[in-house]
Amino acid sequence: MSLKKIGAIARKEYYHLIRDFRSLYLAFFIPLLLILLFGYALSLDVDRIPTAVVDHSKTPESRDFIERLNASLYFDVVAYPVSTEKMTRLIDGNRVVVGIVIPPDWTARLKAEKDAPLQVIIDGSDPNYAGNTRAYLMAVVGERNQNRLLTFLNRRGREPIAVPVEARIRVWFNEALESKNFIVPGIIAIIIMIVGALLTSLVIAREYENGTMETIRSLPVRASEFFFGKALCYWFITLVDVLVAVLMGQVLFGVVMKSNFWLMILASMIYISVALSLGLLISVKTRSQLMANQMAILLTYLPSLLLSDFVFPQQNMPAVLKAVTFAVPATYYIDILNGLYLRHLDFFQMWENFAVLAVMAGILFFLNIRALKKAGL
Amino acid sequence: MHSEAVTVTDLVKRFGDFTAVDHVTFTVRAGEIFGFLGPNGAGKSTTIRMLCGIITPTSGSGHVAGFDLFRQPERIKESIGYMSQKFSLYPDLTPMENIRFYLGIYAVPPSSWKARTEWVIRATRLESVRHRLTRDLPPGWRQRLALGCALLHRPRLLFLDEPTSGVDPITRRHFWEFIRQLTEEGVTVFVTTHYMDEARHCDRIVMIDAGKIAAIGKPSEIIQKTLPDRPGADLQEAFVALMRGRP
Amino acid sequence: MVLVKNVSKTFGEISAVTEASFAVDQGTLAGMIGSDGAGKTTLLRIIATMIPPTSGSVIVSGMDAVTRRDAVKALLGYMPQRFGLYPDLTVDENLDFFMDIYGLTGAERSRRREKYLGFSHLTPFVRRKAGDLSGGMKQKLALACVLIHQPRLLILDEPTNGVDPVSRQEFWEILAEMKASGMTLLVSTAYLDEGENFDRLVILHKGRILAQGTPEAVCSGYPDLETAMIKRIETVDAGLAEERFAL
Repeated sequence: MSLKKIGAIARKEYYHLIRDFRSLYLAFFIPLLLILLFGYALSLDVDRIPTAVVDHSKTPESRDFIERLNASLYFDVVAYPVSTEKMTRLIDGNRVVVGIVIPPDWTARLKAEKDAPLQVIIDGSDPNYAGNTRAYLMAVVGERNQNRLLTFLNRRGREPIAVPVEARIRVWFNEALESKNFIVPGIIAIIIMIVGALLTSLVIAREYENGTMETIRSLPVRASEFFFGKALCYWFITLVDVLVAVLMGQVLFGVVMKSNFWLMILASMIYISVALSLGLLISVKTRSQLMANQMAILLTYLPSLLLSDFVFPQQNMPAVLKAVTFAVPATYYIDILNGLYLRHLDFFQMWENFAVLAVMAGILFFLNIRALKKAGL
Repeated sequence: MHSEAVTVTDLVKRFGDFTAVDHVTFTVRAGEIFGFLGPNGAGKSTTIRMLCGIITPTSGSGHVAGFDLFRQPERIKESIGYMSQKFSLYPDLTPMENIRFYLGIYAVPPSSWKARTEWVIRATRLESVRHRLTRDLPPGWRQRLALGCALLHRPRLLFLDEPTSGVDPITRRHFWEFIRQLTEEGVTVFVTTHYMDEARHCDRIVMIDAGKIAAIGKPSEIIQKTLPDRPGADLQEAFVALMRGRP
Repeated sequence: MVLVKNVSKTFGEISAVTEASFAVDQGTLAGMIGSDGAGKTTLLRIIATMIPPTSGSVIVSGMDAVTRRDAVKALLGYMPQRFGLYPDLTVDENLDFFMDIYGLTGAERSRRREKYLGFSHLTPFVRRKAGDLSGGMKQKLALACVLIHQPRLLILDEPTNGVDPVSRQEFWEILAEMKASGMTLLVSTAYLDEGENFDRLVILHKGRILAQGTPEAVCSGYPDLETAMIKRIETVDAGLAEERFAL
């Protein structure tokens, strides 16, 4: 293998890249767009849930309940319809997600120490959102019940007893349960796949479409030289994209990487190699830019987005799909990034992920060389 | 029928800054084989596509089959036959299906579909392959089918764009014999080619280079006019002399 | 220099080349003539080590083209049929790429650059993108690129197809110069009128060699190469001769 020949191919590839507006746009504009889009739009947090309350009771107690609800970060009471029908209309019209009906005798029943039910209607179109909403509401009501129980016991002259079982939950690694801390690593993994695999999936196919593959084959160039020459430019571009994404995450969303920066770079370098090898393999196999592009989206971008634990939790997937996730490189990379961003793990706690990615890169490199040799290099 | 099948004056076609056809003037007489010769990229295809009403000229004027090039392109398309070897046929259809398609496109009355189809299949000797996929046919057979499709509506004026590229010498010779028969029936044929030696099958030719007409007339006259002192010279040599003589 | 022995090549069911044998002597200009699909490109690609033959062998300068592929590759220059250069790179950058691959540096690099740009008359256009060159200039640039490592055997696949007559003539002048410098050349063409430029001819039809020898020997008894070729095709391919079609 000669470095000079790799250099020759890399230089030519660099010219293609700076002449091709579409590639440059894909390399630099798309990552920025993705960060903004995912960062702002794909917030998985449930807060300020638009809520409507029909208060038939109209007592200080009911008003106090509504106020408490509103005071919590999770609920935002935006409407006070006068009837259940009006409330239903608000839910149908997508104006609110939760509707709470306080019955006329609610306060009276509370005072009589009877059970005092509330009617709650939740829009279940988005099950995740509805589930979270339900949990928050239960928490608000539960807290109120506990307080009432304590005052009740007090009034009866009993010693206030401690609640027998109390789950004191502390969330580790992402204390505020803010999804942006989780989304930024995910975006970095997606960006690498888009820029890395999508861009490189075009480059060998383009040689076939131009008829220049025949020229390359007639030159004294080895498969490995061709492979490294092709990958070199894109490898650096993708690495720059990673840095841009990390910086954007910090500036725009305040997500700061507190762990070892160089470990992140190492993981990114290996993962980039996987993405580029995958793109080049698709390119040499399909030999057409259009096909390669579609294959790249199907085989790299979509799995990274959907199966990597980024958007959909892997725990909830059926067994078959779960098995597939083990083959998705982004799974391991996102795991490493989460370890670095949220848990402050060191290399020895995550070495398996590094090893899997490295083995993937190795296998893909081998497959590339074999495919290129078969193509006549 | 006019005595001139095609007349164009100062025809120009520009694509952005690039002038593909630059002030071209010529006439094609009824019943002749008129050759349009030049290298790839000289403006042959652009010219033939303007004459067939596929693209509109940038400037100039012209009539094809009696219809105005600018105002009646649809009438032109109805009354001519156009064959381009590269683009005419659907490779995933059979010859019969291709023919059926063109019968519809050229609005041939359905009462005569059967007769026309049989006539074309017989004339182009495609009886044995009528239900095979067009892409599986040898190049010579595909070329005959393309020609047959262009003749379905019995046009009096036929445009052929590079009809003989990529076929063997025998099939080429057969092709030219067939074209000659058509002109004996009164059909006018306008044909482009980059084979200089095919000019001998044409009654008159235009030689075009870089969008401009380099020579026009009978092949023998062009050679004689360009190289008067070399009686044995061929068209290729005449063309080279014409090009080199230009600054 | 080149020895082709009983070479056959099949792609799936289709046999592209059948039992071809011929030789090209050192320092000669050999021509391969045949229409599209005759097997010219396949045979040239086998000799250029692009694809291995299904059976038979190719010996270049005493070395087997399959087992000693790298050594054979190093001494030949191959110009594929389609313009095998990068359209988005300039003339200079295309040439640079080839020189980089062959590891040319320093004084030798600039000497060769001057030499091959000079004789292909491309010096004024070094900054133009290859895609914006005319057909003739593209072919000359492609030739400059394959010549840059000064191969001993030059294989050109239809280098003059669709090129304007002037560039074609210049191209042939360059090839004659190459031959005079001791290079061996193997060139394919679909233009029968180029036949007389060759020292030896190989006539291909449907993957088989119909005739070979000097142009005079191949023409023997017939007025021109086309007639000679038609007669020979008729004797081996009766079916094709029967395919005459008529109104």
